[in-house]
Amino acid sequence: MAKNRTAGVINPDVGFQIAPMIDVVFVIMLFFMVMAGAVKVEHELKTTLPGNVETAQETEMPDELTIAVAENGQVSLNDEPISTPTDRDLTLLYQEMMRAKQNAESGKTKLLVTVQAEETARYERVINVLDILAKAEVSNVTFAVAEPE
Amino acid sequence: MAGGGGGGDGGEPEFQVAPMIDVLMVLLVFFMSITSAQVLKVDKNIQLPLAVHGKKRDDKAAAGLINISWDATTGQARYKLDDRELDPNDKEGIARELELRKGNNKEFRLLIRADKACHAKFISKALEWGAEAGIDNIAFSGLNNEL
Repeated sequence: MAKNRTAGVINPDVGFQIAPMIDVVFVIMLFFMVMAGAVKVEHELKTTLPGNVETAQETEMPDELTIAVAENGQVSLNDEPISTPTDRDLTLLYQEMMRAKQNAESGKTKLLVTVQAEETARYERVINVLDILAKAEVSNVTFAVAEPE
Repeated sequence: MAGGGGGGDGGEPEFQVAPMIDVLMVLLVFFMSITSAQVLKVDKNIQLPLAVHGKKRDDKAAAGLINISWDATTGQARYKLDDRELDPNDKEGIARELELRKGNNKEFRLLIRADKACHAKFISKALEWGAEAGIDNIAFSGLNNEL
């Protein structure tokens, strides 16, 4: 009996098993591959505060557009409604921005866009508008919140 | 040449485990690095809005990060400068701290990470602090996808 037990200790089957290791590595890799698809990368939309003009320099009058964001999500361009409150693509706004940008480039002026949100407008809708401006590559954007009347 | 692909003498190619493990490990490290580096930056309390056309956040540039979470039950926002809770009534104190962080750096920006349900007036308050501190570069954070 003792001899048998000793023999078991002398020749234990403790060799490195490659097959289960590959199984485990595959499972871990599958997990990270799936997670990689759902990775959330933070993007940023740049704006400036209103009234940031260097008065010491001679400035050209820019083409100024005002985009208003209402509490219900209604977006207006120079007081003209340009979308429905639920329209996330804001295609009309994008087209208008592209046109205004082309006009500014051909007239060699600067395009300045002010996004003016109502106090209780959702931040998501404001970002939606800023995202469209980023898509249209409009760089001079200011953000302001309208004072209640 | 015919037997170049295999390891056996008989010409039959054999499955090579060692190079497969090498490749697996490289893939594993790659997916681990891209997953962990980006998911951890998202604050669980703040649901960021979608901003697919924004530029990828530049973490190297100096910025004052203001987190604005939204409490739907009270209809109020909670402000944090990095991890520290802010008292929204202490306008001068917050502006002073932002001013100190800014120093002489003209490129310093105020990075706003706000919940998508937050009202615009609470964002405006954070912008006022930035204006008070002389920061006019403002950046709003959003996500690349909604998954």
